[in-house]
Amino acid sequence: MDWHQLWVILSTPDNIPIASLLLLVPFYAWYGFRQALANDRLIEQLEADPVLAKTHHRKTQPWQPHWPKEVHVWPYLLKVEFLAAIIVTAILFVWSITLNAPLEEPSNPSLTMNPSKAPWYFLGLQEMLVYFDPWMAGVVLPTLIIVGLMAIPYMDVNPLGNGYYTYKQRKFAIWAFCIGFIGLWVLMVIIGTFIRGPGWMWFWPGMTWDHNRLIFEVNRDLHDLVGITSIWGKAVFGALAVGLYFVLAGWAVHKIITLTEFSRKVYERMTLLQYLALQFFLVFMLLLPVKIVLRLLFRIKYLWVTPWFNI
Amino acid sequence: MPDVPSQPSQQQDPITSNSLSLPLLIATLVMMLTVVWALVDEVYLMRPWKGYQKRFVETYKAYLQRAIPEAAERERAVREDPEYQRLVREAEAAQQAVNPQIAEIDREVSQILDPQIAVLNRVFAEQRMKVSALVYQLEKASSDSSKQSIQEEIEEARTEILRVSMPATAAGPGERREFQYAALEAELERLKARKAELQTQRIQLLANATELRRKADTYLREHLGGLTEEQMRGLQRQVENFRVEIKQIHIADIDLVDRCESCHLAIREPLVLTAEDMGGERAFTSHPRPELLKIHDPERFGCSPCHNGNGRATSSVVKGHGRHRFWLWPLYARENFEAGCQQCHTRDRYLPEATTLNEGKFLYDHRGCVGCHRYEGYDTEPEELLAVQQEILQKEAEKRNNLLEVERTIAAADRAETNEEAAALYAKADGLRVASSGIDAQLEQLDARVKNLLLERKKVGPSLKEVRVKLRKEWLPVWLENPHAFRPSTRMPRFRLDEDQKQAIAAFIWQSGVNGRLPAQPPGNAANGKELFETRGCMGCHSIGEGDAEVGGTFAANLSRVGEKVNYDYLVRWIRNPRERTAPYCPYEKRDLTPEDYARHGLPYVFDVDHTLCPNDGHELQVQQMTVMPNLRLTLQEARDIATYLMSQKQQEPADYPPAPYLDDPAMKAKGLPLVRHFGCAGCHEISGLEEEGRIGTELTKEGSKPIERLDFALLTHEAEREGWYNHKGFFERKLENPAIYDTGKVKEPLEKLRMPNFNLSPREITALTTFLLGSVESNFPERYFYAPEDERRDIQEGWEVVLKYNCMGCHVVRIGQRSVLMDLPRYQSPDWKEQLPPSLIGEGARVNPQWLAAFLQNPALSETDLNRNGVRPYLRARMPTFYFSQGEILKLIRFFEALSHQPEPYIAPEVEPLTPVERSLARALFRSQGAPCLECHATGDPVHDQRATAPNFLLAKSRLKPEWTKRWMLDPSMMAPGTAMPSGLFRQEGNRWVFAGPTPPGFAQYTKDHADLLVRYIFEFTAAEQQ
Repeated sequence: MDWHQLWVILSTPDNIPIASLLLLVPFYAWYGFRQALANDRLIEQLEADPVLAKTHHRKTQPWQPHWPKEVHVWPYLLKVEFLAAIIVTAILFVWSITLNAPLEEPSNPSLTMNPSKAPWYFLGLQEMLVYFDPWMAGVVLPTLIIVGLMAIPYMDVNPLGNGYYTYKQRKFAIWAFCIGFIGLWVLMVIIGTFIRGPGWMWFWPGMTWDHNRLIFEVNRDLHDLVGITSIWGKAVFGALAVGLYFVLAGWAVHKIITLTEFSRKVYERMTLLQYLALQFFLVFMLLLPVKIVLRLLFRIKYLWVTPWFNI
Repeated sequence: MPDVPSQPSQQQDPITSNSLSLPLLIATLVMMLTVVWALVDEVYLMRPWKGYQKRFVETYKAYLQRAIPEAAERERAVREDPEYQRLVREAEAAQQAVNPQIAEIDREVSQILDPQIAVLNRVFAEQRMKVSALVYQLEKASSDSSKQSIQEEIEEARTEILRVSMPATAAGPGERREFQYAALEAELERLKARKAELQTQRIQLLANATELRRKADTYLREHLGGLTEEQMRGLQRQVENFRVEIKQIHIADIDLVDRCESCHLAIREPLVLTAEDMGGERAFTSHPRPELLKIHDPERFGCSPCHNGNGRATSSVVKGHGRHRFWLWPLYARENFEAGCQQCHTRDRYLPEATTLNEGKFLYDHRGCVGCHRYEGYDTEPEELLAVQQEILQKEAEKRNNLLEVERTIAAADRAETNEEAAALYAKADGLRVASSGIDAQLEQLDARVKNLLLERKKVGPSLKEVRVKLRKEWLPVWLENPHAFRPSTRMPRFRLDEDQKQAIAAFIWQSGVNGRLPAQPPGNAANGKELFETRGCMGCHSIGEGDAEVGGTFAANLSRVGEKVNYDYLVRWIRNPRERTAPYCPYEKRDLTPEDYARHGLPYVFDVDHTLCPNDGHELQVQQMTVMPNLRLTLQEARDIATYLMSQKQQEPADYPPAPYLDDPAMKAKGLPLVRHFGCAGCHEISGLEEEGRIGTELTKEGSKPIERLDFALLTHEAEREGWYNHKGFFERKLENPAIYDTGKVKEPLEKLRMPNFNLSPREITALTTFLLGSVESNFPERYFYAPEDERRDIQEGWEVVLKYNCMGCHVVRIGQRSVLMDLPRYQSPDWKEQLPPSLIGEGARVNPQWLAAFLQNPALSETDLNRNGVRPYLRARMPTFYFSQGEILKLIRFFEALSHQPEPYIAPEVEPLTPVERSLARALFRSQGAPCLECHATGDPVHDQRATAPNFLLAKSRLKPEWTKRWMLDPSMMAPGTAMPSGLFRQEGNRWVFAGPTPPGFAQYTKDHADLLVRYIFEFTAAEQQ
């Protein structure tokens, strides 16, 4: 096992954010959940005691009679923020003293570095290129991600959970976040940084990144499995396959949206446009894990091949 | 989270009650600490050169404190020298003599003129400012009326009365004076003129004293051989006032910033500072080769263009030296630092200061690297030959087209309707004919060029076309198996061949050899052969004996076991004339010609340098073997003697070699051809059918700047990275040491393996070649930084190529300090044999007439008939061989020698004034007098006398020598050639002329002219009759 290699990758200055990501993401996920669950218990108690529930209480702490019902931003919020600002400043100072800018050799237009990697925050996108054609991975999906993020406030009709941590009241949103951000985005950044070596080949941690490594891997498109060769045949077959996916995924997403009593209530509040938008984004988001599984486990490259785009 | 209490407790509200002051305090302290850290980092940690500079000031001060008394002591010794004291006294006396006048002048200037000028100047400058400002307004004024009024103002300013209170001086008391503007200016001018006059006078008065003082200073400087105490104190003052700052060289036009001197502070100090002097700190030494800095002024060249490294980086030693995996130009290692020369001195084969690089360049050519790897400027003849041949074909086609066009034009003219049209067409046809004759002239030149190139083109190894006549068959596979086992010093490398490949290659080579029959030679006298081998000069290139017993040159093969491999008959032919071929090769038809080719055209089967044309198509033939070995012009008997001696050089009987019947198997030959091609044998050898093969290796001209990713470390990449040799140096060194190394662990088909054979290079040779390759880079500098002179220095560059190609330095001394191979042979250690050494060629350009030199190089026997002799020095046992130089090479050699001696180009022989009869008889008398028995030592053409002669024949002088040189030589030969037999001190100076130092024959008392001149003129008129 080549742990030295792993250490080199981990300790490269431009990989420090990702190395910290490895620790910080689980920590904050845990921390957020801890608070959310505590609040959930509080909510449960308050709901069980109508007297208490009727009196004013702060959203995250059980209220006590001699406490002010509300506190001011200044100084109670700002002093905490100030403390945070000082700590962050100190961290940035130390960071900038100890880690130099990760400059490398002058660029040589006739020589591409291998592996050739985007900045760490784009490595998720770069990893997506393995699963989709450049048009999809580079243009369509990033656009959908941005538009989808912007659309969240307009699709979110759940009135609860504003300004405090809660799991019970926002199960759907939290699961969507966990899968979409942690499960897909962060994971792919980590794969792109630590797992992908020369030739964008898959190297498990501890494997030497060997430029001479050769692996035998033949990728197929879905239509190759059934032996369709004509262009129109491929297009129609692919359209059917993708259509089938959309139907199945839409059905599954609908099942999830209407899974519980609570979520059905939320569903009731949605307009058709909101519902369709939600369906649209989630179905596309789920396309990525589906393609990852197809590609990595079944070596299937595209579901739908047309002269203009591939999915 | 606690349960909600049913009864609210008196718990404090965590938000309002918690002041957070402790965390804030701690966080603030931490932040303060980081700020301090940042400041320290900024000021010291990232600027280690500050520490260096402080240490430097301390150590340098301490050193100067130690060194100044020593320097003072040395200086005192010189100052006490009576000669110096005399000079100082004279200077002082001269100064004393003029002191009163000087004092008078100084008094007038400082006490009268200066105060007056100062006062007047202030008033004048003020008024001039005012007037100038008004004039500007006038120029810019828009209306006539305003112009008018400004004009008036100017007038007013000019006529204004200016009051000046003149200071009290030695000339008189202070007074108030009044001037107008113009008068003030005039008065000021007068005073200034007076001052200038006085100052000129002062300088004139002091001239003598200044000159004498300068002489004294020069004397001091020249006899001190170092810095004076005063200069050392100057250095000390500089150190006292040292400023801690980045010291940088900035060369704007190449965007070069070198801050190396921020730490290497003493590199340009005018003292020699070693690490010991500077407290063991190597960074503080002065440049070890200050003479190189003189040629390459750091202000113009910087540091990193030669040394590499990161000139801008100052934050750590590692970064400054560029020893960082992302810095593409790391500092050259100590043993490779001469690589830096190669970048600009690409065209030089020999650089006076760069011995390692010189060796690398020589090895690249001589060991045959160039046979497989193209390198710009090395072994250019084959490529040029192809280009010229191509051009010849084009020209021939052009000419054919021209002539056809002429016919068509004339036909058109005949059919023309009008006379004008016909005349125009005929004129056009005439023009085409003339153009065709021009093409003929061009073709002639191109043919001459081809002839030259065919002579110049050499191969590293011997021709394999001759194997059948030359070699014993059984020896071939043994040799191929491991050449180094047979001959450890051989240039032939060891290929990685399996048994099958070896047999196939041997069979191909054997069967592709040209068939020929050589005349059978009777055996010669081996003892005489040994004597001839050791004295004719063979050992300037060849060595004999093995191991510690090896003597002779390393340029050509060691001949210890030559008797095991060759045929006697062939050896005789080879020794007689190594350039003789069994069959000529026609580069046009691409085949060896046979006697039938000649017979078909009714020509005898004769081909040599005088018969070079192909009987079939008239193109130039390759009529010589492509070896640099020259023709020693031996007689047939001498050749037999030497061959007989060499045939006795063997360790084992040739008959003991295992038989190799497969060499005649045609199937093996067929198998051998692709292998011979694959391994690139034709890069170094001439092989039938493979004469036009290209080089099989990668081009190395820019190898040093090839991206490291393109150097294939194969499975050793990670090992190299771990062990720190993942760089160019590491790659080259390991590859040269073991060319197969990057196949380690690889699973490959036999013919996919790395092909480079093992050259058995010594560590020194590896370093030399590595240095050469490291320096072979794509340069970022503009053209003008490269050493590509177009004047006589270019002639020197080209000349070295030829000199090294033919190993002139095996027998001759070409540059000062060099030793020829012959000089170091045991035989030439005795005084008698020292006289037998070939002449030194230092100053050759000043000595000989270039025209004569051309003729001599062409035919060193200087005779068409009597070839078995040296043309100039018949008494030398060593023989100046015939090299069959091309015209181009002769020209290069002549220009080389002329340029080395800074002779004007072209050479026009000066008129030598003819002797009057009286002068002739005087000269003749001196020439034969007891004091100067010239003909005792100089050759006379009398064979008996010439046996013991030690100097050339005077008959040659007129055509051979330059008269100026001849005179200088006669005056002091030992100065030009220490140890020469020619006596020095023959003349002594008497006024403006040289007179003979010994007893002069009668009649000289009246002769008032220069005796040396007289003798030179006599020698330049020397005739065979005089010699009798």
